[in-house]
Amino acid sequence: MAKLTWKIWFVIILVILFALVIINPQAFTKGLLIKDVTLNTSIAMAGIQKGEILQEINGKTILKLTDYYDFVNSINLEPINIIVTTENGTFHYNSTTLDFLADGNRTTEVYGNAFNAGLEPGMILKSINNYSLDNYSFDSIKQNLEPKLKVELKTNKHSYIFLTSQDLGLTLAEIPKTRITTGLDLQGGARAIVRPVEPLSDQEFDSLLSTVRYRLNVYGITDVSIRKAKDISGSTYMVVELAGATPRQLQDLVAKQGKFEAKIGNQTVFVGGHNDITFVCRNDASCAYIRQCDAIQDGYACTFNFGVHLSADAAKRHANITSTLSENITQSGKYLNESLDLYLDDKLVDTLMISSDLKGEEATEISISGSGTGKTKEDAYNAALENMKKLQTVLITGSLPVKLEVVKLDVISPLLGKQFMRSIYIAAIGAFIAVFVVIYVRYRKFSFFIPVAMTLFAEVFLILGISALIKWNMDLASIAGIIAAIGTGVDDQVVMLDESRSRKQFSLKERIKGAFFMIMAAFATAFVSLIPLLWAGAGLLRGFAITTMIGISIGVFITRPAFGDVLKLIIKD
Amino acid sequence: MEESNTGLGDNNSEKPLENQEKTEANSKPIAQIQEKKEFPKEIKQEKPKEIKPRSKFLSSQWYDKNYKILLFISIAITILVIAQLVFMASTTGDIMKKDVSLTGGTVITVYTQQQYDLDEFSQSLTTQLQGSVSIKRIEDFSTGKQVGLVIESQADPSNLKTAIQDKIGFELTDQNSSTETMSAGLSKSFYKELITALIIAFAFMGLVVFIIFKKPIPSLAVIQAGVTDTFGALAIANIFGFHISTGGIAAMLMLIGYSVDTDIMLTTKVLKRRDGTVNSRIKSASKTGVTMTAASFLAVVVAYFLVNVAVLKEMFFIIAAGLFLDLFTTWLGNAAILKWYCKKKNIQ
Repeated sequence: MAKLTWKIWFVIILVILFALVIINPQAFTKGLLIKDVTLNTSIAMAGIQKGEILQEINGKTILKLTDYYDFVNSINLEPINIIVTTENGTFHYNSTTLDFLADGNRTTEVYGNAFNAGLEPGMILKSINNYSLDNYSFDSIKQNLEPKLKVELKTNKHSYIFLTSQDLGLTLAEIPKTRITTGLDLQGGARAIVRPVEPLSDQEFDSLLSTVRYRLNVYGITDVSIRKAKDISGSTYMVVELAGATPRQLQDLVAKQGKFEAKIGNQTVFVGGHNDITFVCRNDASCAYIRQCDAIQDGYACTFNFGVHLSADAAKRHANITSTLSENITQSGKYLNESLDLYLDDKLVDTLMISSDLKGEEATEISISGSGTGKTKEDAYNAALENMKKLQTVLITGSLPVKLEVVKLDVISPLLGKQFMRSIYIAAIGAFIAVFVVIYVRYRKFSFFIPVAMTLFAEVFLILGISALIKWNMDLASIAGIIAAIGTGVDDQVVMLDESRSRKQFSLKERIKGAFFMIMAAFATAFVSLIPLLWAGAGLLRGFAITTMIGISIGVFITRPAFGDVLKLIIKD
Repeated sequence: MEESNTGLGDNNSEKPLENQEKTEANSKPIAQIQEKKEFPKEIKQEKPKEIKPRSKFLSSQWYDKNYKILLFISIAITILVIAQLVFMASTTGDIMKKDVSLTGGTVITVYTQQQYDLDEFSQSLTTQLQGSVSIKRIEDFSTGKQVGLVIESQADPSNLKTAIQDKIGFELTDQNSSTETMSAGLSKSFYKELITALIIAFAFMGLVVFIIFKKPIPSLAVIQAGVTDTFGALAIANIFGFHISTGGIAAMLMLIGYSVDTDIMLTTKVLKRRDGTVNSRIKSASKTGVTMTAASFLAVVVAYFLVNVAVLKEMFFIIAAGLFLDLFTTWLGNAAILKWYCKKKNIQ
């Protein structure tokens, strides 16, 4: 038996190495991957971390997502009868949780059953199920009343025991078998392509990217890729991609300039960003909450409130400007004759009356308000919450350097991606079979057919390995690229087979060398014709171009030489 | 072996020469492929015709007589391609019908197994939104069941979404649907960019071909075949009523590589080699080339029927169309041009 040459060994070793790269080391661990843990839930406080693998809940082994859902559905906490007495009346409802939050004895956030029963933010609580707010704190009543479930949970690292009254707050996923990451169009997520309305310098563009990233992080989105893309004609775009669920506010977050100004008359008191605003109250019901909801024409409007702290400079400006104002006495109290007007992107969002005792004072704490509307009370409530979050984000991160325009916005469902992947696998298998049929019909020899098949598989493997290694996202375009590379691979192998079997007057080495001349020439033309795609159209087809280029390069430089050596082994002169 | 050259390009008068070369090659195993060997010119190919008047289809004699007709067929195909594109341009203002990724608009993909009368569905959305709405079904090949609907329109995305929700009776979320919106401005610039990319790609390809072969006529023949395949694939897609997306243009770029590799192989064999006759070299090249094209063609046709991703379907269609044309442009057109060229330049 002939010896395997170094070129063949090289391919074999590469394939083994890449197999190690592609396969996720956790692939053989049983359980579900914890992708995220909701903040402030009992489970988060118990210390569970994302990245751990959930294996058991209350003695039940968890292998599949359905196991987990079965457990969640089996949680059957007996709802209790809740009676909330307030100064505005008494509310009865059945629930497993109180469904509202309070600051002292004033309700701040109201949702779920409490909301449906008519309880509203801003009501003054007297008692809950005979626990008087005079004697007990809201939190201790909540602790006492809400039915709880004891959960014992095992992960691959630790065991946790905790009591919970709500849904666990875990985001779970099956453990990925490979380290190949799929692109947005296959795994679901959102993509926005944003164009600055006026051209930016490189420095300005970098600051734009970092502000948008900061904004999304402040808003609570961390799994995001933000990059700059240039096209052939020199336009620059910002491409924002995020995996998984898409916030409804994405468009506003990435493209609204977010220029916030608080003005008295036409004098600016403070603007968004850390120079003027030192602290913004968020996620704290005592200083950031929905104040009230009212019926308006065609629906409801809810008002939110949150506090901000101003820097010394901004407070001084406030003192200077208000000192020149005069007092007005109205029915509801004494106010200054001009109001504090809040503008977001040059649009008036709210007008605050300034209490007359603030005249000439260095106000360091200001309460900001705004509203959200909706067809139902619940919609309005949620809209107000979202608007509050957005305004808080903008106040923290400041404005973007220029006006922006969203030119492309894609929101892709993860379900369709799964369907697509399935059909792509089937199509790939079908295409392979088609190629093999042609090769077999033509050559009728398994000794030819097997090296061709093995080379093709090695090529696919090496392309996937490189993509896992460089953390390249496999999107639809890249899959098309793999197909292109494989197609070229088949063509090249046919050339090599035919060349090595004809022209017997030359040595086999010469014949294979002759085949390589044609292969290299075809490679060169295919490679150069893909170069312009690296830039064309904001790089959206870059995945296709790069994957094809990688694929055909692997072909001519790594697998084809090995295939040539295999031919030398199987073809006898 | 059954594939040996002498058997294919059967030409009696050449036999002694070949044997002569064989012995030469055997005594000197590392023969120079590129080395120019002047063969005695007095041996004419027409000579055996008088002795053996058979002109069997696809035989060497038949080819000598008819290659210009084959070239003419290839030219006719090129003319048809141009005619289709000109017709398209004169009726629609462009050489292709573009989908929303190139014109701007919205595509909403809904994940639903519910069945609808698609004609009625698109009709009612079209009247409601006062703009054309097209709806396609996505099916799972293995089960044949509908997986979802693809709805395309240039209407305002939120109006389109509301109209679809009213029609299908459930709310569209980012779990059960995908929404892709493209502004008209961006898509226009995308289109321009991709066409520029295509032109640059042709220029690059042409440059490489010139560097490889250095001779203008054979190089131009290769480039012409590539251009005809690429735009011919577009013309066929037009005839089948495809709306071309960015992916479709990427497929055209892919075709450049696919279509010229057979031409390069052919030209290399005919011009850079001296074994056998021109006819036998063309014939052996065509055997290799047709296998190459058949493998790729069958693979993409199978994939076309199995895949349910619209953009991949479109790409596979365009590649299949281009590969089909490649059989004609390369083996009727380019081969005949080379044959003619060799005759004029006395290459044997």
